[in-house]
Amino acid sequence: MRSLKFLALLLAVAILITQSGCWSSNEIEDLAVYAGMALDTGEESPEEKTFEQEGGSYSKQNKITATVQIVPLKTGSKDEVKGKTSPYTNITGTGDSILEIFRQFSLRLNKPIIGHHLKIIVISSQLLQQRNIKQVTNFMLRDNDIRPSVKIFLSSGKALEALTIKTPDEVPSFYINDVVQNQFRTSKIMDAVLLTDLDAMMHSKQSFILQNIIQAKKHIEFSGAGIIKGDTGRWIGNLTQEDVECIDWLTNQGDSGTIKTYDEQGNPITYEMKAMKTRIRVESDQDNQLTFQVHVETKGRISEDWDMEGNPALRSYQKEIEKLFKSKLTSMIEHLLSAMQNRYKVDVAKFCQAVRIQKPGLWKEVKSNWDEAFSASKINLDIDLQITDFGSTTK
Amino acid sequence: MSASKSFLAQDDKITSSQAALVLNNTMLGAGILTLPRSVSETVKTPDSWLSVLLGGLVVMLVVILMVKLSLRFPGKTVYQYTQIVIGRYPGILWCLLLVLYYIAIAGFEIRAMSEVTMFYLLEGTPIWAITIPFIWVGAYLVRGGINAIARVGQIIFPISLFILIVSYLLSLRLFHLDNLRPVLGNGIFPVIQGLKSTVLVYSGCEVVMTLVAKLEQPKQALKAMLVGISIPAGIYFITIIMVIGGLSVDSAVTSTWPTIDLIRSFEVTGFLFERFEFPLMVIWLMQMFCNYSSFFYHSSLGVSQLFNLPYKSVIFALVPVIFLATMVPKNINEVFMLGDDIGYFSILLFILFPVTLTLVALIRSKGGPQHEKS
Repeated sequence: MRSLKFLALLLAVAILITQSGCWSSNEIEDLAVYAGMALDTGEESPEEKTFEQEGGSYSKQNKITATVQIVPLKTGSKDEVKGKTSPYTNITGTGDSILEIFRQFSLRLNKPIIGHHLKIIVISSQLLQQRNIKQVTNFMLRDNDIRPSVKIFLSSGKALEALTIKTPDEVPSFYINDVVQNQFRTSKIMDAVLLTDLDAMMHSKQSFILQNIIQAKKHIEFSGAGIIKGDTGRWIGNLTQEDVECIDWLTNQGDSGTIKTYDEQGNPITYEMKAMKTRIRVESDQDNQLTFQVHVETKGRISEDWDMEGNPALRSYQKEIEKLFKSKLTSMIEHLLSAMQNRYKVDVAKFCQAVRIQKPGLWKEVKSNWDEAFSASKINLDIDLQITDFGSTTK
Repeated sequence: MSASKSFLAQDDKITSSQAALVLNNTMLGAGILTLPRSVSETVKTPDSWLSVLLGGLVVMLVVILMVKLSLRFPGKTVYQYTQIVIGRYPGILWCLLLVLYYIAIAGFEIRAMSEVTMFYLLEGTPIWAITIPFIWVGAYLVRGGINAIARVGQIIFPISLFILIVSYLLSLRLFHLDNLRPVLGNGIFPVIQGLKSTVLVYSGCEVVMTLVAKLEQPKQALKAMLVGISIPAGIYFITIIMVIGGLSVDSAVTSTWPTIDLIRSFEVTGFLFERFEFPLMVIWLMQMFCNYSSFFYHSSLGVSQLFNLPYKSVIFALVPVIFLATMVPKNINEVFMLGDDIGYFSILLFILFPVTLTLVALIRSKGGPQHEKS
């Protein structure tokens, strides 16, 4: 009896050790992990053209060009990573289905690509002029490897070029991903739009903005934001850097922000925001004509003043300067408002949130054509700006 | 092992805290992964959290009724006292509905578990390789009776709760209170409508009618059962708040597994794990195991008590039945549809069991003090 029990136990242990494991595991070294993706209008790359001349083609239309940035997972030999080889490989394919393009990469790569570690997606605004953003991001939303935490950017130029920028020893995708962290320094960087946010905004058909990236000589700059119109899902234009800054002022989100203006002599003075609070109150009359009362309250310090005579420590001088900053901020916000209301006729500064929360009944009526209702609305600005500090020098 | 002598060991009793835990484990399963979507789909406003709370209250009333009914027949499970109240054959027929319902839920839980595992965790693993070990190990646990199930629950629940809370706390970085506003913007009506889908997530609370019989101290039954129902209600409430607050109603509605998607929407660099969906899913597998085991136990107990069959043989006979129940839905749409059907079925059982049975018991004056004397 005892030996039988022992045998059974031995068998159980043997089965446990030999039979357990991962059914469909893949060694990470054998995978091509991509960290960035770029989507452009369908234009075949020179290699692809050559491939096609050699007979390498399949039935497709050239609607979209997808590029992925593959990051090698070489551990160990450090000198290989250093210097000689570039720390990444980009591969580009053209077709009319992103999944199919990706599967096509398997014909050209020695490893299967895998999206677990995708960090950023850059979409060229040109592509979004032709196609609905819902169409081009559909695959990413459905795929089970790509996480909803992926950040989405727009590119004025070719998106794939944003993935070939010159960065010291760094993969461009990670580099772009990290720039977002500088948000605490400047409110010209907007809150990164994640895939999950995109999903929600596309579902509710509201217009929204995506951080725009521009390029010059293999360098990038985050500059302004591209507007995606809610009902068509197309790119309709860009907001300037200062407009993006003002969106932070309006949505009460800024942790940082500066206002630069000039005094009468043309000397620059700069205000550094330390605290802000924005309240939007919605009023409406019988004809559903909306009026927004925007109240911005901010406190901050004079961080730079080129004026030689003035004394920033004096309250009277501060008061004068407060007025200058106030009018500058007003004109900045008004610029944004006119861009939204007159030029593009979209609401991308979340005025809809105020209506949704404060007037839910009214919201139900105006929801379907919110952009028009917003463009027709009146917005009253009221700015309360206080200088509380002048830095470490009095003069 | 005295349990092997009869189909039901005489000493197979549990303490009231264990009973509360079993009830809790019976409700907390795969539902939490889809709850924010299913409720938001019907409510359509951010008020779904109110629906969940209100649904919890409604279910609590039902649970009170079930406890009161069960207490009229001390030491007897629903399978036994239904036969006393409405006669042997009608009783068996009614209870068979209950057994079928438990088997359907057991199958549904395993199926939902394997669907989510196959999608996110073990892509390419065949479905039977996930479900069959689950069913077998469950059969082994159920063999040990309610005591074993309760003790496994005692080990697993604190762990799964801990991981869930940690994941939710980390998701606070996505939380925007504005996503949960306005409260009652469209009035109370959407909340009432949402009740339909929130009652579904509490399906399984019928086990109260057997748990009360297993209590060491039946006097604490009501308290234990109310605690047992409050914990899942609280967890559901927190889930809704975190998911709607983190993802907004629009995103929760479009997401197949919104709770997982919330956890997938952020990365924590420099923490123990960078991604929390994997620990959460792995741990929640154990929770779903407890959940399924409880239903397996209750259906086996039902069959054995209804037909006077040996409990342990019934377990093995039910293994293929549960596997079939798991494989009935052909695709994920049918899985979700089955989930809804189970919910509606549970409403029928609410009416059939606690309500009708109590009325009949009162009219025919079955059970209660007289019953003890006779």
